[in-house]
Amino acid sequence: MFYSDDKKQYSVLNRRTFLLYLLKVSFFGIVGWRLYNIQIKDSQKYKTLSKNNQIDVEIIYPLRGIIYDTNKKILASNVKVFDVYIIPENTKNINKSLSKLNQIIRIDFSDRRKIIELSKKVKKFEKIKVLENINWSELEKIEANKLNIEGIFISQDYMRTYQFGNTVSHLIGYTNKPNREEVELPFITNMPDLEIGKDGIEKSFNPNLVGKSGQREIEVNSYGRVIREISRQDSQRGNDIQITIDLRIQQYALNLLKEHKAGSAVLMDINNGNILCMASTPSYNPNKIIQKPNKKYWDSILANELSPLTYRCIQGLYAPGSTFKMVVAIAGIVHGIIDTNTKHFCSGKIGLGDRLYHCWKNNGHGSMNVSNAIKESCDVFFYEISKKIGIDKIARVAEDFGLGKIYDVPLPNQKKGIIPSRDWKKKKYDESWYPGETLISAIGQGFVLTNPLQLAVMTSIIASNGKNVKPNIIKKNNDIEFEKLEKYHSAIEIIKSSMFKVVNESSGTAYNSRSTSAPFAGKTGTSQVRRITVAERESEDFRKKEVEWKKRDHALFVGYMPVENPRYAVSVVIEHGGSGASTAAPIAKEIFQFTKNLEI
Amino acid sequence: MLNKIQNLNYLLIFLVILISFIGAAGLYSAAGGSYNPWASRHLIRLVLFIFLAIILALINIKFIYQFAYIFFILSLFLLLSVEIIGVFGKGATRWINVFGFSIQPSELIKITIILALARFYHDLKFDEIKRIKNLFFPILILFLPFALVVIQPDLGTALSIAMLGILILFASGIRIWKFVLGFFALIISIPLSLNYLQPYQKDRIFSFLNPEADALGRGYQLIQSKIALGSGGLTGKGFLEGSQSYLQYLPEKQTDFIFTLIGEEFGFIGTIFIILLFLLLISVCFYISIKSNHIFGRILSVGVGSNIFIYVIMNISMVSGLMPVVGIPLPLVSYGGSAMLAIIISLGLVLNAELNGNLKKLQNA
Repeated sequence: MFYSDDKKQYSVLNRRTFLLYLLKVSFFGIVGWRLYNIQIKDSQKYKTLSKNNQIDVEIIYPLRGIIYDTNKKILASNVKVFDVYIIPENTKNINKSLSKLNQIIRIDFSDRRKIIELSKKVKKFEKIKVLENINWSELEKIEANKLNIEGIFISQDYMRTYQFGNTVSHLIGYTNKPNREEVELPFITNMPDLEIGKDGIEKSFNPNLVGKSGQREIEVNSYGRVIREISRQDSQRGNDIQITIDLRIQQYALNLLKEHKAGSAVLMDINNGNILCMASTPSYNPNKIIQKPNKKYWDSILANELSPLTYRCIQGLYAPGSTFKMVVAIAGIVHGIIDTNTKHFCSGKIGLGDRLYHCWKNNGHGSMNVSNAIKESCDVFFYEISKKIGIDKIARVAEDFGLGKIYDVPLPNQKKGIIPSRDWKKKKYDESWYPGETLISAIGQGFVLTNPLQLAVMTSIIASNGKNVKPNIIKKNNDIEFEKLEKYHSAIEIIKSSMFKVVNESSGTAYNSRSTSAPFAGKTGTSQVRRITVAERESEDFRKKEVEWKKRDHALFVGYMPVENPRYAVSVVIEHGGSGASTAAPIAKEIFQFTKNLEI
Repeated sequence: MLNKIQNLNYLLIFLVILISFIGAAGLYSAAGGSYNPWASRHLIRLVLFIFLAIILALINIKFIYQFAYIFFILSLFLLLSVEIIGVFGKGATRWINVFGFSIQPSELIKITIILALARFYHDLKFDEIKRIKNLFFPILILFLPFALVVIQPDLGTALSIAMLGILILFASGIRIWKFVLGFFALIISIPLSLNYLQPYQKDRIFSFLNPEADALGRGYQLIQSKIALGSGGLTGKGFLEGSQSYLQYLPEKQTDFIFTLIGEEFGFIGTIFIILLFLLLISVCFYISIKSNHIFGRILSVGVGSNIFIYVIMNISMVSGLMPVVGIPLPLVSYGGSAMLAIIISLGLVLNAELNGNLKKLQNA
């Protein structure tokens, strides 16, 4: 019989079925509770994971543009280097791998400890940098032993390299990681680890040199591991830059400067304002700043009291001394105070108010016209004429000749210097101008401060018969024509003939530096760094005495070459070099001769 | 005949259709908002299989009773032939072609196991159930397909066969202490069976124990599926708005992991709703069982209900990280013909058991 009526069996079955049902309901309850935990309690956590899950954009950093000199010599480029990494998940024993690596290249025990500590913190598929910038022989050794060292891998990178080390360091600058403010700069955009220019051309041309980042869209899971690449857009290398510096002249000038503790030399092409040489000593080696660790090197730079980081060509401010006299003379001629025949008698000193103003030549020059006054650098002549010209007129001419200005050239941190005037003093010190200060200013002392580039520009303007020469550091293909300041033309002719005599006539201050192979004209300058006491002045030989280096005068020389149709203008400043005639002029001569030889 | 059609359990049929429609919606979303390739076929199968189930419900239960063992042996042969093809043919497979249809015999065998056991206990006098020797045959019925599925290897199905057997034996009224013994036997057999596992199956178990160990590789599915569920929150991201599945984070989102997709798009409310629907479906099976006036119908209905229960619990536990990923679909929701056919046909048998359940009712009619 198919159908049954066994009550006893049915009651057992009913009971069992009921128990089974209870079991099932409770299992559904467990599953429901689990879903509650995931979907309600921990929902926020999973929502975050879900967002991170998905697509990540990885930045491909661009290569920085190359910097060339005027002859296409590479001054800064990117050199392939090799870094050694370790991936924790690829080695059973990270400590063992590191000590094996240590047998090939020494890794400090403390560095190894740091890497091991780090490996515990980061995700184990993340690579950790062990060694940076290893050389070829080390690379070969590691490659040969790669199979024995678990978990390491070598990756190629690029490092900014400056082929000529400290020769153009101030001008080119160096790169480094951006600091907190710099991260906001627009060209960095999405590249927080980008090495950016920190000084010089590297800094000024960051937007050009940086290039464009590329990107890789990658799908990552919630743990950050890359699953696959979705798309790739390669980065674009930054633009190259060619500067006007001629490396050969730069190197030559720097070698001359290195005989002295500190100084600078600027050489300009008058026709187009191109700066051919802008050497400053002491300098630093940017490669040593870029290669980590660099702390020792930094400390040594910062401890050096000559401050190697200072770019003396644009950041060194010096009293121009007698090199300022051309400006005063031009002001005198232009304003009709003097002409070529105007004479003043130099007795070695003049009095104004209750003070005496001395000429550098204690016994005096005797009767002087403007030409002789420049040739022999007579101070009294300029004291006399400045009293009549007045400081404000001198200041205006000085500014027309490029002094007291920051130039529109991509050189960061130029120092403006000071061209004093009545207004200036009122603003600065809230004091009125004293007549004696005009006298001091007329011989380029006192308040007057200029940087060597300004002196070179001033010389260029004189040499070009008053063309408003503007300095230029980036090589341009088209020649530029500077406007001419016609009002100075006749005055400049007088001054130029005087400057010729400075170097080429026997009583000229720079006669000893005259050149037959590259005749040039110029003006010496010796700027005092301290006040000379009356007692010292009275002792006959105070200028000949050996004085402590820091107390010695700065030596200056400005000049141009050739004498007819000048092409080059130079300014040389040797800090505490003694006198312009003995220290600065010979360097200018060497530079002129070297440059002339290059032309052939 | 017409009378029988009128007396069909329409609640059960409605539940099947409702759950299958939810499945179709999930498949539509999984395809990125398209009926192709999954949702359309899912619905066609639903119509076809329900039609088949109703026909099955209308035939005489004695006919099914008589053929219970034959069905079992036939499906066992199908399973065996999959094994043989696997050995001599193109490597491990779970599929076989029957009249042009690709069928997974391991899904069908569960239904014939229920039929065979139902017939066995129907034939056995209640007093005889206690005897140990009467355990031999049911255990053989369970062991043969279990062994075949294990060496396939299909861990999930093997496990569900074992669980199904235990639940049916329990429901048939054998002594509780035998279960305790059986439970310990199972515990002991786990380490032994580990040796038989394929490397990928071991990986799955180990990744279940520590999914974060290899987030990309073996633990990947589990983590992603938890993220999908969890990010759904209470109300979900909305239909077609689940980012996990669109970004290809969810593997096999149309089959075993469809529940997580629904969980992501419809949230906790959606997942609990599905669970309640399944509970209701199982309750209907159990209700039919208790109402039934013959042991065959009782065991059959409890067996079918338990089978669905095992599918649901294993699938949801798997995707929510309560157990290792073993490859069990969610009935009527996951895409896949064999499992759907097996579930709907087995529910057809339950419908049949209800129609033929009460002799008095039949006679009155």
